Amino acid sequence: MSVIAPKFRLGYFLKSLTDNIFWIIILLTLVGIPTLMLVLFFIDLPVLNGTLLTPFLAFTMIFHPETSVPLVKSLLYTDFFKIAAFPGFGFAALLAAGTIFIERKLLAKLQLRVGPLYCGKVEGILQLMADGLKLISKEIIIPAKADKPIFWAAPVLFVATAAAFVSLIPVAPGWVIADLDVGLLAVFAIIGFFPIITILSAWSANSKFPFIGGIRALHQMVSFEIPLILSLLGAVILTGTLNLSKIVESQSNYWFIAFLPIGAIVFFISMLAELERIPFDLPEAESEIVAGWLTELSGMMYGLVQLGSYLKLYAFAALFVVLFLGGWQGPMVVPPFPAEIITHGIEAGPITVQVPGLPITTQEMLNGTLWFTLKTGAVIFFILIPRGVFPRIRIDMLLSIGWNKLIALAFINIFIALGLLYAGVLGPGGLL
Amino acid sequence: MTARLPPGLQLEKVDERIMTLNVGPQHPGSGHMRLIIQVDGDRIVSCDPDPGYVHRGEEKMAEYRNYITNIPHLERPVIHDSCNILYPYCLGVEELLGLEVSERAKYVRVIASELNRFTYTLYWLAIYGIFLGHSTMFMWPAGDRELAIDLLEKLTGARVTHSYFVPGGVRNDLPANFEDVCLRQINYLEKRLKTYADIFYDNPILIARTEKTGVLSREDAIRLGTTGTVLRASGVDYDVRVKEPYDVYDELDVHTNVLKNGDSYDRSKTPWLDMLESCNIIRQALEKMPKSGSVRVKLKPNPKGGNDEVYKRVESGRGSLGAYIVSRSKPEPYRVKLSVGSFRNLICMPYLLKGEKLGNMPAVYWSLNYWPVEADR
Amino acid sequence: MGTATGIIRALNSGIKHLAVKRFTLRYPEEKLKFVGDGYQFDPTTGAGIAGYKGRHMLFHDKCTGCQLCAIACEGVAEAIAMVKVPEEWKHNKKAIMPQIDYGKCVFCGLCVDACPFYALYMTNDYELSSFSKEALIYTPSQLQVKPEVNQDVDIVIDDRGATHG
Repeated sequence: MSVIAPKFRLGYFLKSLTDNIFWIIILLTLVGIPTLMLVLFFIDLPVLNGTLLTPFLAFTMIFHPETSVPLVKSLLYTDFFKIAAFPGFGFAALLAAGTIFIERKLLAKLQLRVGPLYCGKVEGILQLMADGLKLISKEIIIPAKADKPIFWAAPVLFVATAAAFVSLIPVAPGWVIADLDVGLLAVFAIIGFFPIITILSAWSANSKFPFIGGIRALHQMVSFEIPLILSLLGAVILTGTLNLSKIVESQSNYWFIAFLPIGAIVFFISMLAELERIPFDLPEAESEIVAGWLTELSGMMYGLVQLGSYLKLYAFAALFVVLFLGGWQGPMVVPPFPAEIITHGIEAGPITVQVPGLPITTQEMLNGTLWFTLKTGAVIFFILIPRGVFPRIRIDMLLSIGWNKLIALAFINIFIALGLLYAGVLGPGGLL
Repeated sequence: MTARLPPGLQLEKVDERIMTLNVGPQHPGSGHMRLIIQVDGDRIVSCDPDPGYVHRGEEKMAEYRNYITNIPHLERPVIHDSCNILYPYCLGVEELLGLEVSERAKYVRVIASELNRFTYTLYWLAIYGIFLGHSTMFMWPAGDRELAIDLLEKLTGARVTHSYFVPGGVRNDLPANFEDVCLRQINYLEKRLKTYADIFYDNPILIARTEKTGVLSREDAIRLGTTGTVLRASGVDYDVRVKEPYDVYDELDVHTNVLKNGDSYDRSKTPWLDMLESCNIIRQALEKMPKSGSVRVKLKPNPKGGNDEVYKRVESGRGSLGAYIVSRSKPEPYRVKLSVGSFRNLICMPYLLKGEKLGNMPAVYWSLNYWPVEADR
Repeated sequence: MGTATGIIRALNSGIKHLAVKRFTLRYPEEKLKFVGDGYQFDPTTGAGIAGYKGRHMLFHDKCTGCQLCAIACEGVAEAIAMVKVPEEWKHNKKAIMPQIDYGKCVFCGLCVDACPFYALYMTNDYELSSFSKEALIYTPSQLQVKPEVNQDVDIVIDDRGATHG
């Protein structure tokens, strides 16, 4: 449906405004109020301190600091907040969105041009929102002979797996969604899902170019999983545990990258290959196979795949930081909260508000988050730069790198780690 | 179905191993032509190029227009290299009409022709980079091309399709202060060209991707009748500007860049070396140009040639470009045939792509310096 | 380790370019300046004067209605047609002047070359878009108006790169 936009007429505009207002009022009264009454009919309002918690009382309580601050603080430590906002989906999505924007501007500066410029008053900040709205509003076209259930499910599975990966990364001391004792092994298990989802999406599209792209993606991801896993074993040997939070804690004196540089480089290259970033973006090679396994995805399905892809980028970069760069360890730069806030409350002009339990977060958490974000930002910067500098690699070169050179380097790394451990230099009971 | 299919349509046999890919006009990696490629796994079994999507009947339409009105018309096959495609036509018509071109006009023609070589080759380099996945190599040449296009705009008045050469010289003289601006921008352009070496030509991934692919040996290059940078990358020292000099090229010092291996890497490096050479040619031409003089010969209205034919050749960005003009004592030419380098190099494509990996297809295809619009005319 | 040095050199070159200035011209806030006032033809010397080939400008006090511009355009784009104008000029007894259809014009400038009276110029104006094809046909009185162009940006080359400024 392509209509050439008619000329603007004030009458039509006012008519559309009043139409919208009319429908909103109708829906609220005819549908909203009965629903509200039904809800209130079946739910018993709780009794708090002898008074009935009506909606009015609830609103007052929310806006009064004395009662709201403990409420906020208790909400902060629930599981739901951890999953949805802080070290989970919200934080990761925010960093992913920031990554996309910074990638476009960084690449533009490298290529001597301006990136997004006109969306949003300051250098195109709102460009992502515009792109997101555009993708949501597009029509989703499914090829006629595609395998529909799998075709619809594949992007959703992609985002779900990427989000599962994000949930294992510790951001600050104590702030991790799933603190598993076999955290690193769970990471490997989740990474193993990605080739399956890619090949499912490619196969179900029932078309030649996604087929070639999917086969290439399968080759690429499978052949780089082994060096990925092997390169991380060096860090595991030095700490003796698979728990990601404990790996971070054991880097309090030194960072592992100082002693395992080869492992870090192997992990970095394998990470680029798992993320399908240039120079390893064969599955999406635009000049040979149109868009690889993403060819038949349109509209929000493509948006979901991009979201999952950038969540994966954040998660891999965070994993690199956790394992090699010391996670959230860093000198304490956040000043301690002044003691008066805790005991006396805030003084703001003629009003003094006594708010008990005020510092919502602890000093360690802010410090840890700050260092973690800085380090992840630096790693993401180094992931973004090869996009402007290298051409795409070919499939046989990729396979020879993944199966020959990287596995050999990863083994050398393991031997170095074992050597350092048995010489008593590092690890439990070592010098450092 | 025993009826013969119209050309361009093929019945696809469903085979167990061989898959037919239509790298067609709606493919981001193909240009305005179609390649019917049959792949067996990752190997290309056969390749059938299908040009002709942009055929507009230029040569036929040239028979209905007189010699001057043909100018905006015959430059359309290659819009940004338009001076080079008009060059053999103007040289031919000058010989048919017996016109004498002034020295200054010849030097200005040489400068415009070399600037056009920049715009074409930088555009080609940009697309070559993006076909290999190197987005920076698309942006940098496209940006630096603006410097050359800016010079052409000051000189001729238009960014592309300049309509600048006429039989008898060029249409207008250099604007004021052109030499200084030209020298400054050409020097800067040369500096920028040299930075491509680090990021593209010495990039190990590019070298691994294009070396030893699509190897065209010296004998094959001569036998298949290739021309231009494809020929020079296979070890044959032939440049029309040096071997059959026209205008003032015999007074300028042109160095031919010949590379030995004949693979895609050499074919992608030769145009870059040629561009560095063009900077020198422009600087020499600006020095040696006579400082004043007319640049255009006043023609009688409706000039006619005798019963004659002429063939003139010029080196353009894609190879030798020739124009064969037949006149029969009328203001319109009887026949104009353009012999373009792209179409003659097209024969290499099925020959080189057979047996290659599918991943090498963009590297080999685009390194043949094929411009579809010009090949179809 | 040739590959490793090559990779590091490429990365180095890429990072060094983060310090080079951006080259983009911020159109429409900045517009490029052209050399002169537009392409003109000097019938006495028989050669043109370098300039940008944009919209035409017709001098009513010089045009005699000889139709040479229309004849020159016939083989190229057929964009010029002669129309009657309600003006009375001594040198234009037939009272016809060219009207140019910019939907067909290819801006080659052969009409400017053909005019023997120095009456047709091309100016620097290139922003000629309109909402309908009829609005693209410029009548002789529309062609009389000198376009307002505010173009002032040039390419500036310094040691941190070339920019438009």
